[in-house]
Amino acid sequence: MSLVIQNLSKKYNKEKYGLRDYSLTIEKGILGLLGPNGAGKSTLMKIIATISKPTSGILTLDGNDLIHDPNYIRKMLGYLPQDFGVYANLNAYEFLTYIAAMKGVGGPNLKSRIEMLLEGVNLIEAARLPIGTYSGGMKQRIGIAQALLNDPKVLIFDEPTVGLDPEERVRFRNLISNLAHDCIIILSSHIVSDIETIADAVAIMKSGTLITTGTQADVIAQVEGKVFETIIDSTALEAFRAKQFVVNTIRQKDKMRLRYISNQPVPSSTPFAATLEDAYLFLTKSNN
Amino acid sequence: MNDFIAMIKGDYLQRTRSYAFLITLAISLYIAYTFVPPPDANYTTVRIGNYIGDYNSAWIGHVTAIMTSVFLSLIGFFLVNNSVKKDIETEVGMIIATTRVSNFSYLMSKVLSNFLVLLSITAIVFVMSIGIFFLRSSGFDFEISSFLIPYLFVTIPSLFFISSLAVVGEVFLGRRSVIQYIAFFFLFNVIIANVQVGKGSEFITWVDPFGVKVVTMGLENHIKTIMGSDERVASMGFNFSSKNELKVFVFNGMDWPIGFLVSRLLWFAFGVGLVLLSSKFFHRFDVREKIRLVKKSKVLSEITEHVSPKTISLTSLPAITTDHGITAFIKTELLMLYRKGPRWFWLFNAGGMIALIFAPREIAHQFILPVLWFLQVGRWSDLTTKEKTNRIHHFTYAAYQPLRRLLPSQLIAGIILALVLASPLFVRYAIAQQFLPIAGIVAGGIFIVLFAACLGIISGGKKLFEVLFFAITYMNINLIPFADYFGFSPTYTSILLVLTLSLLLAALSGLVRSYEIRHS
Repeated sequence: MSLVIQNLSKKYNKEKYGLRDYSLTIEKGILGLLGPNGAGKSTLMKIIATISKPTSGILTLDGNDLIHDPNYIRKMLGYLPQDFGVYANLNAYEFLTYIAAMKGVGGPNLKSRIEMLLEGVNLIEAARLPIGTYSGGMKQRIGIAQALLNDPKVLIFDEPTVGLDPEERVRFRNLISNLAHDCIIILSSHIVSDIETIADAVAIMKSGTLITTGTQADVIAQVEGKVFETIIDSTALEAFRAKQFVVNTIRQKDKMRLRYISNQPVPSSTPFAATLEDAYLFLTKSNN
Repeated sequence: MNDFIAMIKGDYLQRTRSYAFLITLAISLYIAYTFVPPPDANYTTVRIGNYIGDYNSAWIGHVTAIMTSVFLSLIGFFLVNNSVKKDIETEVGMIIATTRVSNFSYLMSKVLSNFLVLLSITAIVFVMSIGIFFLRSSGFDFEISSFLIPYLFVTIPSLFFISSLAVVGEVFLGRRSVIQYIAFFFLFNVIIANVQVGKGSEFITWVDPFGVKVVTMGLENHIKTIMGSDERVASMGFNFSSKNELKVFVFNGMDWPIGFLVSRLLWFAFGVGLVLLSSKFFHRFDVREKIRLVKKSKVLSEITEHVSPKTISLTSLPAITTDHGITAFIKTELLMLYRKGPRWFWLFNAGGMIALIFAPREIAHQFILPVLWFLQVGRWSDLTTKEKTNRIHHFTYAAYQPLRRLLPSQLIAGIILALVLASPLFVRYAIAQQFLPIAGIVAGGIFIVLFAACLGIISGGKKLFEVLFFAITYMNINLIPFADYFGFSPTYTSILLVLTLSLLLAALSGLVRSYEIRHS
């Protein structure tokens, strides 16, 4: 199974691009999409989910053109949008039955499948209550359940951990890991640790373009040997920032412990192993 | 003060930058164009017995001013009465609630924003009325004051009052839009009945919020002066009776009584007073959650905290089969139609259906059916827009063949509701072996649902349909023939026309929705 994106662009007006000349091949497993706000993550996901049409470029799944035949992927698509709503007057069963109809699936097992999904996302006890009474996290879990209704082969999760508490986030990550064997899973998040723990591959985006892609090790290698920590006076922080790329600061009384990325570390710095977050911040925030 | 102006400006811009506003503007212009009928038209709008005025500045200025006052008061209420509701839905209200703005200032900003929206439409209609003068007048001098003064004294105070009333309605009836519509419908009819029929005293001109009576009385007096008789009564509205006997007189404008002018200022003050009173009862966005908990005793967090979730594995889930049918959609759409609004409101529907059984058949068909259908305005108006307002559209647009499956299901569910409500009439007509009216009602049910769907899709909201459906229902009740979409006087041609229109609406809905799906 292979999702191929070739020179995909989404142009809003003369100057504004949501996505610009984007090329990537996605194979089975979990791809983590990282990028700041406005990087084009949601635009890319909407195009793959057939909600949005690109201005130019090619998008195929196993050789099938998804731009001209969106129904090909829709049959096997599970999509959790970043900002989605619910019909407040329906309960979880009714809502999922409705979504199942949208996806064109049914049959005698649908009810028990919905029940198992509700158990899996920990909503079975509240399933008969109107969704309008649910908390933000519960609605998010309904969103996750609907994405799994139709034996999806391509799963797209746009910021899925928003609104989930720490325990639910861990549970969600485990769920995604279990699903990854037979599917393409594309997952975007602002929280690097969500991606770091589960993604097989990472794509970092900025201003609608792909900056880098590869395995986590490939991406981290770009800043390997360049991550250091040092301690300075609080008053010297701004001057230090002007010269070095600081990725993290921790206050310690009147001192500051700084983590920074540099080819020319200051004296008394300690080298540290690079993380995905270091690489992400360096690639998206620095001018290099 | 700057903050206050900024609030009004923001609200005004947000509302006028919508397709619904532009479409309403276009429709208002078209209707305003009909206020002064062409010489060969088969209707009149303002007449005094058998007299109509020659098309000079005074006649066109006064006629368009009073017609605009009534027409915009009628549809304007529906157009603007969602300003507070919008702040609740967008949750901007919760931010406003934490600021220092007083209830009165907030509500007044909404009134003034409403007022500006209606004034914008009036300004365009005003320009059009001048255009009509140059189009239809025959040799009379153009006098701008004959246009300005009636709009200033008649139309503008009416619109301010309506703007205030819309906000007051929102404060006291909150999200119960349909109740507001019904209450306004009755109020409007009472006001019109009070000011339009028969002779009036100066006092009636003071208590007329639309400022119409003073003009119609002025016209009657003018005719009396010319003809020496006071038998002729002014009438206003689209009158399709014969024009053969009409005589033309020259109207040179009004002498505005001081008492009336003072009363117009008092209507402004009354509007402000109503808002001041409402501000004491305003919820300030501390709005109770509307969704009823099925098990009130159970708190959701308690339900969910102590259960260990099971692990999901896609391969272990029960297998599902492909099902491209639309039955599940129709069932859910019907369920949502049923659950829309307060449950007790179904008592009105039940009452309406009982009335359709027992009322004289003509009354049932001509008056009760259009009103009963109008009561469903809240259900039909968001038939095709609820995906967007509930932010479900990312699911629906990514669904399997959404255009062929979801849209037809929504339409079918809406039509089923219309036909079920009209079913007592079907039985009565069937017993009487009259099948043409049955066909007429079916065509009407199909038309009104497609009309709702199409306007929702085109405008992206429900307001436009609500405004027009109210106007159509008002015309139905006032027996204006071309508004009879529900087959009261059915012919094969009229039914075919309604069905053809429905087909066009369906095609337009499909085209626009298809574009939305591809370019969202």
